[in-house]
Amino acid sequence: MKYNSSTGFSRLLIIWGITLLVVAISLGLTLFLIEQSKQTVIPIAPPPLPVAANPSDTPPPPQRVNLFLLDPTALTLVPVKIERRLHTESTQRLRQVIKALIQETSPNFRNPIPRGTLLNEVYIDSHQTAYLDFSRHLTDGHIGGTTAERLTVMAILKTVFDAFPNDIKQVQILIDGNEVKTLAGHLNLSQPLHFFD
Amino acid sequence: MTRQKSNVVYIKNPKEMRVNRRLVHHPLIAMRNAVYALFFVVCISCIVDNGVAQEPDVHFIDADGKTIAEVPAQLKDETVYLSIDAVKQVFDPAMTYQYNHPRKRLTLRMKGKQLRLQMDKPTINIDPGGEIVTLSAPPVIIGQQPMVPIGFFTQLLPLFNDVEVIYNPSLRRIQMRPKGAWMPTETAGPQNWAIIIDPGHGGVDDTGCQASTGLLEKDVVLALAKQIQQLNKPREMQVYLTRQTDTKKTHFERIQVANRNQGRLFLSLHCNASFSPHEKGIKIYLNNPKGQLRFPSTIGQAPAGQRLKILAQANFLKQSRDFAADLQTELNFLTEIPVTITELPLIALSEIYMPGVVLELGYLSNAEDLEQLSNPEYITSVAQAVTRAIQRYISSANQSLLPTASEQ
Repeated sequence: MKYNSSTGFSRLLIIWGITLLVVAISLGLTLFLIEQSKQTVIPIAPPPLPVAANPSDTPPPPQRVNLFLLDPTALTLVPVKIERRLHTESTQRLRQVIKALIQETSPNFRNPIPRGTLLNEVYIDSHQTAYLDFSRHLTDGHIGGTTAERLTVMAILKTVFDAFPNDIKQVQILIDGNEVKTLAGHLNLSQPLHFFD
Repeated sequence: MTRQKSNVVYIKNPKEMRVNRRLVHHPLIAMRNAVYALFFVVCISCIVDNGVAQEPDVHFIDADGKTIAEVPAQLKDETVYLSIDAVKQVFDPAMTYQYNHPRKRLTLRMKGKQLRLQMDKPTINIDPGGEIVTLSAPPVIIGQQPMVPIGFFTQLLPLFNDVEVIYNPSLRRIQMRPKGAWMPTETAGPQNWAIIIDPGHGGVDDTGCQASTGLLEKDVVLALAKQIQQLNKPREMQVYLTRQTDTKKTHFERIQVANRNQGRLFLSLHCNASFSPHEKGIKIYLNNPKGQLRFPSTIGQAPAGQRLKILAQANFLKQSRDFAADLQTELNFLTEIPVTITELPLIALSEIYMPGVVLELGYLSNAEDLEQLSNPEYITSVAQAVTRAIQRYISSANQSLLPTASEQ
């Protein structure tokens, strides 16, 4: 059979034509379906119009807070300055400060609060006593010894009294909501403590 | 491959380079080695003279821990030697001595007695009486000077006078104190004194501090407490332990032992820990809720029972301070770092109706303290020091009970 070049060319044209037709139909169908689906969707309520901002809700400017951590010798507590946007309300602010203390991991300074300790709750009563309720990590994760126990307690007290010189007079440490006699078997924490420099 | 043109050396093979460098610098290396050898010989000859090495001074201290004299010491055959002049300096200023070189005989005259010593022989003849004492090491001649071993002071001097001599070899300290000075007097017999020793922590749950070697605070303090009890048995003093074994005791159970036995002194034993591996030394703590860390002044508004618990130690604070000072004096003899006293609100001493002290024996977080606390000999020396402190405290407390002249 003799090969006819014009017949081959026309076949190619037909194949291409069919292909383009199929593509065009598919595209049209797709666009049609998209358009259809847009029309069936329940319209979302427009976002509420911005309300005039309440002056009390404006974020406060960052404030400097001293967190008391162990210096590089790990013998003495020193103030380490950090900046935080602190809440204006005392209890909220106390929560922020204590959370900052237990989470602080500044290089060159050691945190005397055992790693993993969480702050459950804080409360300030009418006698200006702050109750700080920590998780059990504070006692279970402590290295022990009177010296280390004293430094842990002093870090908490110094940080609180430095940040709240007028609002808080004494601090009672609680563990999981309960009063505790001691952290590591030495210091008496059965009562609120204050610090006399 | 090396080839040489006039004075220039061409090196292609690195191995050859090393070889040739050695060859080139050989005279310098030899000279350097000679200098090193000379320096080494000089050092050795400075340090050692016939097996004798200069040692740190020996400190003679009195019963109150004050230094009487610092005497240069020499070390020979692992024995510390002191000059014979040290006897004059610390014991008898009127002492005279005569040394016979050919016969190597030393004659001492002190406190009305004559002592004859022969060099390199450990025996000493004492006249009048003809008593012979054998020392642990013989007297020797070092640098043309007759020297006596440290045993001369610890063994011989107590025979001459009513003194006790205690030697701390690690710190080169000799303490001289009147013999039996702090034995309890007849006014209140020793049987009236119940001493409560409280080994802290205990049991599986409460191990106290743990050292890197696995040494536990609860075990160290129990071993010490038992030694203190053992040392006080011959003295007929009643020593009670709040726990005899590795068992957990609540604070209430410990208080019960103290109060049930009408204790007159409470000593709680602990080991310390620090965030710093360099912190070391013995520390004493007193229970004072009005120290640096303090309870609020509103404590007076608390219920009466609670107030009593908190302030139980307040009435005994002076006696507790006295006992702490006695402990400090005795323990300072054992340690290079002065023992400190700190007042804090302490749980171990709350609700204890007697003078009480917490003794932190050292830091398990410090390598040097850990080494000492792992050494049974050191624990024994601490037990002896604590016993002496208890005697000292009882003696002074009994003295204060004696009726004064006006009362008689």
